[in-house]
Amino acid sequence: MSDEKPPVETPAPPAAEAAAPEAQAKPAAPKPPAPKPAAPAGPKKWEPSGEIAENGAAAALKAKFGDVVTGVKSPCKEATVLVPKARLIEILAFLKEDAACAMDYLSDLTGAHYPNNDKKFEVAYHLYSLTRKESLRVKVQLDDGEPCPTATGVWPGADWMEREAHDLLGIVFEGHPNLKVILLPEDFDGHPLRKEFPLGGAQEEMIRSNKYGKPVYLPEEIEEARKIIEERRHDS
Amino acid sequence: MTAEQQAEKVSPLREIMETREVELNLGPQHPATHGVYRALVKLDGERVLGMESIIGYLHRGIEKWAEYRNWTQATPIFDRLDYVGAVLNCHGYVGAVEKLLGVEVPKKAQYIRVVLDELQRIASHLVWLGTHGLDIGAQSVLFYAIREREAIMDLFEAMLGQRLLPNAYPIGGVRFDFPKGWVEVCRRLLDVLPQRIDEYEGLLTGNRIWRQRTIGVGVISAKDAIALSLSGPTLRGSGVNFDVRKAIPYSSYEDFDFEIPLGQNGDVFDRYLCRVREMRQSLRIIRQALDGMPEGELRGKVSKIIRPPAGEAYFTIEAAKGQLGFYIVSDGGDKPYRVHVKSPSFVNLQGIETMCKGNLIADVVAVIGSLDIVLGEVDR
Repeated sequence: MSDEKPPVETPAPPAAEAAAPEAQAKPAAPKPPAPKPAAPAGPKKWEPSGEIAENGAAAALKAKFGDVVTGVKSPCKEATVLVPKARLIEILAFLKEDAACAMDYLSDLTGAHYPNNDKKFEVAYHLYSLTRKESLRVKVQLDDGEPCPTATGVWPGADWMEREAHDLLGIVFEGHPNLKVILLPEDFDGHPLRKEFPLGGAQEEMIRSNKYGKPVYLPEEIEEARKIIEERRHDS
Repeated sequence: MTAEQQAEKVSPLREIMETREVELNLGPQHPATHGVYRALVKLDGERVLGMESIIGYLHRGIEKWAEYRNWTQATPIFDRLDYVGAVLNCHGYVGAVEKLLGVEVPKKAQYIRVVLDELQRIASHLVWLGTHGLDIGAQSVLFYAIREREAIMDLFEAMLGQRLLPNAYPIGGVRFDFPKGWVEVCRRLLDVLPQRIDEYEGLLTGNRIWRQRTIGVGVISAKDAIALSLSGPTLRGSGVNFDVRKAIPYSSYEDFDFEIPLGQNGDVFDRYLCRVREMRQSLRIIRQALDGMPEGELRGKVSKIIRPPAGEAYFTIEAAKGQLGFYIVSDGGDKPYRVHVKSPSFVNLQGIETMCKGNLIADVVAVIGSLDIVLGEVDR
């Protein structure tokens, strides 16, 4: 972690150097405001380490869509590519149909929430070629609330996996034939795998903390329940 | 009599005779659903026209829970996914973390893992065989299958201290070597089991009732099975040769000589045969692993506080139900940033609609049994 701090702070020294000659050239001019301290580092962005791994399918994909497909670093040398949302389905269909890729098996489809990144969500497709025995991870980045085109047209097996990602992360898959809840109760509020969602679930924690042992609805009751939760946290 | 009058005259009869689609709820509390699984079946008489699976009754938020524990503490929860194949789940998670860490597991530990994994696979298949037989009406198999599973559970208890959810492997290797006398008991079991499997097959494979209930029932073509991402014996029953142990070898599976049993028709019977034959292959693997057990360390070099490098890893194993995948994301901290389980039961259950369409309602029970689902893994 410590070795990632310098890149954040390095912009500051060049700015100071650039400001210095200017100040010498025009001594009369009011001193330019002191260079702002490097923007507060803020919450740490998620970024993979390691190096970009290549394999046959990734190479074939880059040869065809060279300008839009970028490799992603992977600490354990798994071939990973990042593709733009607009051309996602085209690329997935190419990966499935093209003989050099032949990614006929969708092994897994899931998402993850990165609240500190510019694009808050990522959907990862884990593809495998039964004939060529090769794996590839395709990723697409999304904003909060931005819909992702559905892959059910390419692999019908994406159906439930997309429903699951929709349930737990709130990613909307555009064009999905039956995008309704699958793992959660129908009236569940929120998406549990988002990072801001509390582990116990908002409702459950309030019910537990409530002295009446029942759900709370009124604002003052909710406020009271929150206080009790806070107190318990300090106690434990 | 005009045609209109005629129509009027027969109309009351028509109303009585009118055929309607019936929606039937199978489950959620039904002994044949192997847990809390609800199927909404649309019926025309006894024929299944369509089917909808309603799951999630057992959703415990395991993936969320894991994000609040450190990498080591998160291990035991994954035993609770597929609770009749707990050792395999543990292997999946631990293997994913090892892959991300870049730890090399010593050869001896890999072999011990193979022995325990295959024992667990047999135990899981035995539970499946017993309950699947029970569903279709072959009660006696259950008693025999559970008897043999009991012997395997005793072996787990002797080695790992637990029978059902042993939290078998630490990150980096295994905890213990085989205790004194364990290998001999295990070998004795290996000698007995082939005859016992013959017994089960004697009860079922040639049984006319069993064959009538399973052959040609719940058929899924190889093309559909691949498109729906099915895996494990459910996929291989349709004749697709995909076994993670051969395709993406892990834990030294490339050292062992074994075959992948394949079906042809993709019906309930072929899936049954695949699993039964798989048990025999597992016995072969265990015997080879015990014979060729290398000497050496039990654990690779893993620091006490585990902090994998920032990044992601996807590690898959061949669990008893199919391809079990762990997609783990690390932000460089001591807790998993995201753990996603690709559970074979969940994905395989997708195939049920294709399999059941056009079959009889009684066959739905046979198809559910042939998928070998565990609801703990479906709902997570």
